Amino acid sequence: MVRIEHKRARIIIRFKNSKYEWTIEPRYWRNPLIAVVALVLAPLLIRDYPNLLTLLTTAYIYMLICIPQSWQTVGTGRLNFGPQFFVGLGGYTAGLLSIHYGFGPLQTLPVVILISLAFAALFSPLTIIAGGLYFSLITLLLPLVFLEFTYVYSGIFRGETGISGIAPLINLGTIRLNYVVLCYISLFMTLVYMLLIDKILRSRWGVLYGAINDNENAANMMGVNINKLKVTCYIASSVLVGIAGWFIAHYFGTFAGVTYLPFTMLIKVLLISMLGGRAQIYGVAAGAFFVVFLEDALRSLGAIHYWIFPIILLVFLFALPEGLWGIYRKHKYREYYPTMRVRKR
Amino acid sequence: MLNIKNVTKRFGNLVAVNNVSLHIDEGEVVGLIGPNGAGKTTLINVICGVYKADSGKVEFNGVDITNKEPYEICKVGISRTYQIPQPFPDMTAVNNVAVAVLGRRDVANMSFGDALLDASHFLQFVGLLSKRDVLARDLTLYEQRALELARALATLPKLLIIDEAMAGLNPTESLRAIRLINRARDEFNLTILWVEHVMKIIMETADRVLVLHYGEKIAEGSPEEISRDTRVIEAYLGEKYALR
Amino acid sequence: MLPQVVVYTFILGSLYLLVSLGFSLISGVLRVFNLGYGIVFALAAYLTWMCMRDFGLGLIPSIILMVAFQLGITYAMYRGIILRYFEREEILLTALILVANIVEQAVNYKYPIIAGVSIPTTLAPGTLDILGVAIPKQLIIAAIVGLIFTTLFVIFFLKSKFGLITRAISQDPQSSLLMGANVTRFFGYACLLSVIPPIVCTLLVAPVWAIDPFMGSSFLMTAIPISILGSLGNLRGSIISSYIIGFVHSIVSFAFNPRFMGLAALVVVIAVLVFKPEGITRSESLW
Repeated sequence: MVRIEHKRARIIIRFKNSKYEWTIEPRYWRNPLIAVVALVLAPLLIRDYPNLLTLLTTAYIYMLICIPQSWQTVGTGRLNFGPQFFVGLGGYTAGLLSIHYGFGPLQTLPVVILISLAFAALFSPLTIIAGGLYFSLITLLLPLVFLEFTYVYSGIFRGETGISGIAPLINLGTIRLNYVVLCYISLFMTLVYMLLIDKILRSRWGVLYGAINDNENAANMMGVNINKLKVTCYIASSVLVGIAGWFIAHYFGTFAGVTYLPFTMLIKVLLISMLGGRAQIYGVAAGAFFVVFLEDALRSLGAIHYWIFPIILLVFLFALPEGLWGIYRKHKYREYYPTMRVRKR
Repeated sequence: MLNIKNVTKRFGNLVAVNNVSLHIDEGEVVGLIGPNGAGKTTLINVICGVYKADSGKVEFNGVDITNKEPYEICKVGISRTYQIPQPFPDMTAVNNVAVAVLGRRDVANMSFGDALLDASHFLQFVGLLSKRDVLARDLTLYEQRALELARALATLPKLLIIDEAMAGLNPTESLRAIRLINRARDEFNLTILWVEHVMKIIMETADRVLVLHYGEKIAEGSPEEISRDTRVIEAYLGEKYALR
Repeated sequence: MLPQVVVYTFILGSLYLLVSLGFSLISGVLRVFNLGYGIVFALAAYLTWMCMRDFGLGLIPSIILMVAFQLGITYAMYRGIILRYFEREEILLTALILVANIVEQAVNYKYPIIAGVSIPTTLAPGTLDILGVAIPKQLIIAAIVGLIFTTLFVIFFLKSKFGLITRAISQDPQSSLLMGANVTRFFGYACLLSVIPPIVCTLLVAPVWAIDPFMGSSFLMTAIPISILGSLGNLRGSIISSYIIGFVHSIVSFAFNPRFMGLAALVVVIAVLVFKPEGITRSESLW
């Protein structure tokens, strides 16, 4: 039933009719292993500095948002300018359920997933009817409209101060232990997201998503069911972003739409994707660390950092055409480097 | 095999295809000719599902495919090449063909590696195996046309629609392309609907020829009959072609 | 309620003409969505204020200086960002959003909202009674100026040689290049022209509506649905959709809750897109 073979540095597992294979040459797993070990050891090394731990967790939260966003860019062939809508959705759902019905984090998670599914399904026809620029603009407006909505019903959404007193994710007694374990949880979630989406993009679905990104109509003519693929990609990635919103709400204990819905958040998410290297999953990690630590470093300058920070980001955007990931590794000629065609439909 | 009854397609006030009926039997090579603007590409787009016919019916092997989505029509067994090649520019040639392989009906759970292997067979058939890792946008025009053909063949069609494959090729390349298409037809048992401007090719290879003019079918028959038809000569006014 | 909706549809629609005219110009000619368009509004108000307050100049010299400065900034953005990244659209759009954010935050830093910025451009104080609705005379003047401006723009683009070349470029830049049009220079002219309507709008509307550093974003949030509805860059479409969105805003404000204006406009735009995926006029050119 299950047969395992080992030939030429590859492990091949045959299970009934399907075949799974992994390459185990050291040069493929050496660098990722070093990186993962470093990331796993990091929270232990900085366990005495709670603000550094929070920074690290924030970086992981941004990765949780940007990795599905990168997948969605390739999978739908459109640039989504409003991924933070689902962050707000997940966060508010978790927060409201927690303070009104006393749900704990494990009980709010299924509801967050359901609500994200519902809204993503509601918006998914946009990927079919709206192309290129129209899609980008409509998604640009969605989070801002949501923010207005929360201001209108500020009785429920608590306006600008947001919801506070949300049940914490875990409570193990000491604050230090809490922070360290929460950091590990976010690291674990990030690694799961990364692994999942990397596998998807390297598989046969990945090449179909690339085809959709490159030339939707030609792919349609060749038997690829583009509508189903686009809609499933949009819904799946939006649900993943919603889960990131859930994590934010339970980690910080408060959730205010004004922090996570306006343009400033969009800029950070977009820049992390761009600076990390345009739809490169691992580049998102480099970009997230860079943006989060830069913002914190600049915060000590005072109010001036609000406009110095985007200026520095702009300089890096111009200076690094392949993003930060390009410094580590120039992309090979035959690897798929998606061109985002925003204007042409 | 393919049965088109009274298909009409309008764009606003312009009637691009006007009440056209035709049929194609299995194993035939049917040529579709006509002056520019006659509606040949529009008719092909209607067959392939890119445009929805305003009226009429398209039947393939008894299945009504009139208003189906293009990918469903591809799975039924119709494939086409484009006049201006439309590859996936950022992907390598072998990935391009792999997408076509993965779009087939019979590949329930094919892995990516197996799809690549299958794709290389088709690339080798058209002679592009040495360019398998070249990005599609870096290929020359002839190579892109060959890639189009490989992609169309990879979907294992029963009917192949070729849209002006010779445009832009020099005589040597045209000869290679014709030989390639003939080999494909023999090896894959294809029925071919060939839209072409170069009369010599159509007259030599087609079993039957249809002529469109201003969206209407004005003549149908063997190449010899068409070459003597006064309506066709009038439509092409001054066009000179050689038999054999 | 009906007279209020009618009057405000006219007023808002005419004002939105000014707001969306420049935006549609850039979208139509360059096919670039200039998300940094909002800075023109904010800078129009705050640069004038800065010249008057910090440099002690009078109103007219301040306005002249501000216009010159804005033209300079827009030209710098055109050459430095738009031309360089014309082919790499995702970087282009991100950079434009960033520029908008930088300017907004810089303005907010120098003149936070409590600084009480106001610009004395009131041409006619008081209100006028139309159909039983009291409208500030300033807004009526602004609406009329909006109509005049739009008429001038339309006549210019339809009748002049400059307009003819611009319309050709908006349909097909490659062919226009082959015909000898200096496409780069005309792109620049379009960018510079697009700066004028927002400046006029801000200066006229400033005494009546509030000035805050983030006003650019609010104006942009109105200009975007109008442009999408008007087929992204078609002047005729923008004119029609300005009034449609003006109507939507009016009726939502008076019949329900003014805070639902943005949501209502978005719903209307999406509903229209379902039936007409390319906007109202389905056109790919400037007119």
